[in-house]
Amino acid sequence: MATSNFMGVDLGSTTAKAVVITSDGVVTGGQIVQMGAVSRKGVEKAIQGALTMAGLTEQDLSYTIGTGYGRRLVPGVGRTFTEITCHARGVAALFPEARLVIDVGGQDSKVIALDDQGLVDRFALNDRCASGTGRFYEVLARALECEIGEVGPLAMQGTKDLDVSTMCATFAETEIISLLAGGAEPADVAASVHRAIAHRALGLVAQVGKRSPIVMTGGVAKNSAAVHFLEQELHQTLQIPEDPQIMGAFGAALLAMELSTGRTLMQLNTERLTQLELEVEAAMQPNNRPLPNCMKCYS
Amino acid sequence: MTSAATKPSSVNRLKSNDAGRHMISDYWERIFTANERNASVVWYNGAALNPIFQAAGLEWAHGEAFAARLSAQKLEKSAQLAAQEYGYVGELCSYARTHLGTALLAKQAREKFENGIVDEADRDELASRLPMPNFIVNSYAGCSTGQQWDELTMRVLGKEVPIFNVSLPFLWSNRADAGYLQGQEWEEASDYVADQLHKLIEFIEFHTKRPFDWEALREGMHYIKQAAEIRRDAMAMCRSKPTPATFWDWIASVAHINFLPAGPELVTYFSNIREEIVGRLARGETAIKDEKYRLYFDGIMNWNKLGTLARVFAEHKVAIVAGRYTHNAFWQEPHLIDTDDPIRGMAQHYLLCPTNHGFKTIKHFTEHDCDYYGLDGIVFHSTRTCRAFTGPQQMLARAMQKDHGLPSIFFEGDVADESFYKGELLESRLEAMLETIDVRRSRDLIASA
Repeated sequence: MATSNFMGVDLGSTTAKAVVITSDGVVTGGQIVQMGAVSRKGVEKAIQGALTMAGLTEQDLSYTIGTGYGRRLVPGVGRTFTEITCHARGVAALFPEARLVIDVGGQDSKVIALDDQGLVDRFALNDRCASGTGRFYEVLARALECEIGEVGPLAMQGTKDLDVSTMCATFAETEIISLLAGGAEPADVAASVHRAIAHRALGLVAQVGKRSPIVMTGGVAKNSAAVHFLEQELHQTLQIPEDPQIMGAFGAALLAMELSTGRTLMQLNTERLTQLELEVEAAMQPNNRPLPNCMKCYS
Repeated sequence: MTSAATKPSSVNRLKSNDAGRHMISDYWERIFTANERNASVVWYNGAALNPIFQAAGLEWAHGEAFAARLSAQKLEKSAQLAAQEYGYVGELCSYARTHLGTALLAKQAREKFENGIVDEADRDELASRLPMPNFIVNSYAGCSTGQQWDELTMRVLGKEVPIFNVSLPFLWSNRADAGYLQGQEWEEASDYVADQLHKLIEFIEFHTKRPFDWEALREGMHYIKQAAEIRRDAMAMCRSKPTPATFWDWIASVAHINFLPAGPELVTYFSNIREEIVGRLARGETAIKDEKYRLYFDGIMNWNKLGTLARVFAEHKVAIVAGRYTHNAFWQEPHLIDTDDPIRGMAQHYLLCPTNHGFKTIKHFTEHDCDYYGLDGIVFHSTRTCRAFTGPQQMLARAMQKDHGLPSIFFEGDVADESFYKGELLESRLEAMLETIDVRRSRDLIASA
């Protein structure tokens, strides 16, 4: 029987992500495209990139699900889901034991509580301002005159806990500049801002209730300092997917596969859990393959 | 011919609401022409004191209502700009900001008229058409801005207009015997406000130089009580699933119950609504197409977005069935009104403003409504410039989730300033909540199988 292919497309505020999976859940293509804002060009580039990587054309796709702020702009979608459902779905597939997802994206952050079957139980989102989001780290990088990829390593070198009062992305830039003008070390400023952002995320966690284990998704999860300070605030280790930024698109692709095959979330979940139990048993036997721990191993 | 691009609306509004629009237009036209008729005009804010003004033979203009009307007609900007130029910042209650701007525009228009200047632009400007008040009455519950608003209006008008303030104490509900409509705090507060209403009537008698018509007040309250009872009956019929009418229909009739003249036409208006709902139930006609979710709306109305919000929810198959603003305000406890001696019952209604309760009471009636109407969740309109309404919302959301498993979302907006509303955020959050409700339903289904 020919393999079917499914696509998930996450059109966010600053990036477009596309993931292709096969009907057995194996990721065959993925693409992240940076863009200025929700953009049709960006989404087309991401889709074409993922298809090329998978060696497919659009005609080979059985079903596509769109997610993210621009989900209604994604061409050829069967239906759309919010990022909440898609991130939860992606995380539940890779980390079946996860009970909390912290997703920090370009313009918003969210905390999603999962039940014991990996389904969304509760969620909380930040206010409409960009405080504590990827945008905020961009503001920090600009004020510190460095690249976005450099703010994390710089923050890890900071030793002082400076008083950072505002969390408004607009006013924070002024505050950072005043700290620097007052003679503060850039590393201390970076560390303090990271710490303050992590502290702010605690508010969202409190809204849904702290649960463990916690998985962090979104582009900010690639910032080691952001993860470090969040772990400090939460007093526990965060689990990070191999590519946290693509988790929403991956979840969307899984949902596309599930809807296309007529299996409901609940049914699939039950099946998946059964499958995982079998895998755990199998993994206990010598010379057997390891437990799935990345997207490509998901089945 | 129907255009291919025209999508049929999922909203099936009550036709009897449309029929009542002329009542609102007629009312405002009467206000606008009050000076020409040498009628005395009172500007008031907060509680529905209009039956008192009506009995006293006054014309009454409600500041919030006028601000809401301007916003619903997208005519609020000039008033808000005037207020901003005067120095009132954008974070001030947009009702107050709009009304203060209105006062400035109306004052300028009056001065031009008196100086013989005929200004076409001003004449056509609705915001400037309010007649100058003969006096001002403030009776604001649960909101510190509201309590100061008319003091500011008086200053804007040159401190020449007499003002009377009815003080409405906040109902903290933290005494051992306190509860909704019960306890020592409730009884004492009722007496305290009733006493002030008697003093208000003395104030009106002094300024109008004529005795107050108590019989007219009793008659007016008789009609209010009847209309309120019929309205509550009709609301209760929306318990039926799918619902025959929604929160948006009740929003459309807020003006009628809140400040239109008390008379037989008010009773007829709400009787027609009830009759239409009875008819819908008999025919199986629903308020929205394919109702799938039933939600509660906590927040004052975003008047700029009335049609937009009704459409957004309906397109997601969401029936907003009840809300704190519609169901827990506006003569919602008609049994309290004694038509022979109405003052104490009126005082009690003024205390029952939905921004005037401690958290315990708000939780009490939200639980009641969510249970009574069989609701799946709550939408919180986080009204940007109304701290009084938004204050307890986060606590309420948590309590309703914790105690009743009801999910909720927040969206930001405002009563009369549309710049705070971002549609995409509402839609994303709404869809996320509906997906969560779907998951919960499938989980319940499996558990019960």
